[in-house]
Amino acid sequence: MRGAAAIALLAFAAAVHADPYEADPDLATQDADYAAGKRAVDAKDWASAVERFKRAAVRHPENADVQNFIGYSYRNLKNYELAFTHYKRAIELDPRHRGAHEYIGETYLLVGDVAGAERHLKALREICLLGCEEMKDLEQAIAKSRAAR
Amino acid sequence: MKPVPRLAVSVLCAALAPIALAHDEPARESGRLGKVTFENSCAPEVQAKLNRSVAMLHSFWYSAAEKSFTEVISEDPACGVATWGLAAILMSNPLAGQGASAQGAQKAMAAIELGRVMGTRTERERDYIEAVAAYYDDWANKPERARQLARAEAFQKLAAKYPRDDEAQIFAALYTAGTQQQSDQTYAAYLKAAAVLEEEFRKYPDHPGVAHYLIHSYDAPPIAAKGIPAARLYAGIAPDAPHALHMPSHIFTRVGAWEESAATNKRSMEVAKAGGEPDEAYHANDYMVYAYLQLGRDAEARRTVEEAMRVQGSNPVRFVAPYAMGAMPARLVVERGLWDQAMQLPMPPKSNWPASQANTRFARALGAARSGNVGMAREELAQLAQIQQALEDKKDKYWATEVEVQRLIVAGWIARAQKNDDDALRFLRAAADLEDRNEKHIVTPGRLVPAREQLGELLIEVGQPKAALAEFETSRLREPNRFRNYYMSALAAEGAGDRASAREYWGKLAALGAKADTDRPELVRAKAALQ
Repeated sequence: MRGAAAIALLAFAAAVHADPYEADPDLATQDADYAAGKRAVDAKDWASAVERFKRAAVRHPENADVQNFIGYSYRNLKNYELAFTHYKRAIELDPRHRGAHEYIGETYLLVGDVAGAERHLKALREICLLGCEEMKDLEQAIAKSRAAR
Repeated sequence: MKPVPRLAVSVLCAALAPIALAHDEPARESGRLGKVTFENSCAPEVQAKLNRSVAMLHSFWYSAAEKSFTEVISEDPACGVATWGLAAILMSNPLAGQGASAQGAQKAMAAIELGRVMGTRTERERDYIEAVAAYYDDWANKPERARQLARAEAFQKLAAKYPRDDEAQIFAALYTAGTQQQSDQTYAAYLKAAAVLEEEFRKYPDHPGVAHYLIHSYDAPPIAAKGIPAARLYAGIAPDAPHALHMPSHIFTRVGAWEESAATNKRSMEVAKAGGEPDEAYHANDYMVYAYLQLGRDAEARRTVEEAMRVQGSNPVRFVAPYAMGAMPARLVVERGLWDQAMQLPMPPKSNWPASQANTRFARALGAARSGNVGMAREELAQLAQIQQALEDKKDKYWATEVEVQRLIVAGWIARAQKNDDDALRFLRAAADLEDRNEKHIVTPGRLVPAREQLGELLIEVGQPKAALAEFETSRLREPNRFRNYYMSALAAEGAGDRASAREYWGKLAALGAKADTDRPELVRAKAALQ
C-alpha cells in the first residue's frame, strides 16, 4: 500500500538540506556510482569503472572529473579513441583541469604522437605559472619518450 | 479524499523531529514574516499556521517552516497541500544550484506520496503537489539542471492554469530564476522572473517572497541596482526571518551601499545571536566589518570583530564561521595596507575546512612580501600551496582556485621585492584574470583584496599609472565604491597627470569617509587635495 510505504520511508529518512556553505563538494560522498567507480579504479577493474562513471555522468554531465576518470579507465583498457573523447570532454568542461591535460598528453605518447603531448604540456605551462606536479610528470614522460626513440 | 490514519501523521512528526535538532534552530513563532495569503481548503484552525509556514518558505527559513508545516498536518490530517510545502523545503535554496540532497529527495518523495494518499479538496491544491513532484520525478537518474528545468516548467504551467493565483505566479517566478546559468550574462532567466515579480511587487509590497526573489533575480553585478527598492523593503517585511535581515546586504554590497549593508547586518547579527544561530551571526558580522572599512569606520569595524569573536557554538560542518573568523581580522589590516601588522596576524583555529586558514596565510604573506621580507613571504606561500593541495585532494576546485589566486598575488609581490617586475606583472595579471573567472562566493562580501586592485597597485609602483587607472576602473565594475580603490585611483590619476580625475577620486574618497571614526592618512590626503 502506497500510504504504508510513505510512512515507512518517513520513519527512516533523515532530513538533510543541501547547503551551499557545507565544505564537502567531493562527488564521492554524494554519488554512489562515482564512489564505486573510484573503488573500481583502485582495484584496476577498468570495465566496471567505465560502467559506474558513465552512470554517474548521467547525473553529473558537466563534471570534468567524471569525464577524466572515464578517459583514464578507457586508456587502461587500451581503447585510446574513447579515452581521447572523454579527456577532451573533461578539458572542454574545465580548460584548467591539470590532470586531464597530463593524462591526455601521456595518451598521445602511447599512440606515438609527441606533438600532441607537447600541446598539452604548453597548456600546463600556462596554467601552472607557479609549477605543478602534472606539468613535471608530463615533461618527464615526453623526455623519456624522446629518449626511447 | 481518503482518510489518513493518525499514525501516519504521528510517524511523520517523529521523523521530522531530529531535523530541528540537527539544525540547532529554535522554533520561534512570530507573525513578523510578511503578509502571505495562500488560498487553501484546510481547517480554519490551521489557516494562520499554514500561511505562516508558506511565509517561512518564502524567506528560506527551512527548519522553522518544516516544523510548522508538520504541525499543520498534525493538527489537520486532511490538509494534504501542506505536504507540498515539505517537499518544496527539501529542494533547498532553488537559487544556490545545489538542489536536494539524496536523503532529502527520498524524504520529499515520501511527503509527496503522503500528500497523494491524504488527498486534497481542490484540484488546485493537488496541482501544487504534482508541480513540486515534477522536480523529484526520476530524481536519481537526472542531473540537477534537468530537475530545475522540470520544476520551472511545472510551476509555469500551474501559474498559467491559475492566472489569478498570485502565489502560483510568485513560485513560478522563483523557479524560473532558479534556471539562471552563470554562463548566461544576458541574465535571461533572472530578468524573466523579475518581470513577473515587479508586477506582483506593485500589488503586494509587503509579501516576503516577492521582495526576496526580486533581490535574488537582480543578484548579478550589471543588474544589481534594480534590486535596491526590494532590498530596502525586505528586512522590514520579515524582520523575524534571519535570512530577510541579511539578504538585502547582498545587493547593498554589489552596489557599494555600505551604510545600508552595515545597518541590515547589524540587525541580522542581533537576531541571530538572540536566536542562538552563531553561523548567521558570524556571517552578518563579516559583511558588517567589510562595510565599515569601506566607510573608514575602523574603530567600529574593530569592535565588531572583537564582539564577533566572542560568539560560541558554530557548526563545524559548515564553513561560514571559519571563513569569517579568518577573514575579519585580516580585513582590518589588509584593507588599510598595514603590512607590518598583517605579517603578525595570529592564525585562526583550524577547522575541517582546509581553506579556513587561507585568508590569514595570505594576509601574512602579502604583508611580508610588500614589506620586503621575502623569506617570510616564501614560507607563507608554501603554506598556501599546501592548503591549495588539500583542497584539490578534496576536489574542492572553487576554493582551490581562490587560494591559487592568492598564491599568484603573493608570488607577484615577491618578484617585485626581488626587482623582477616582468614576472611580478605576469603573476598579478594571471591572478586578476583567474579571479574574474571565479565568481565571488556568497559566503563572503568580498575577497580580502581584489586581485585586479593589487595589479593596479603594482602598476603604480612600476611607473605605469595610466595602466593602473584602467585596472582600477575595471575592478570597480565588479566591486564598486571601495575605499582603497578610490584612494589608489586618485594616486594613479595624479601620477598620470590627470588632475580632473584625481580630484574626482579624492572627492569620492572623502564622501565615503565622511563619517570615518579614525584619522586615516588616506582621508587626510584627500582633504588636502580637495582644498
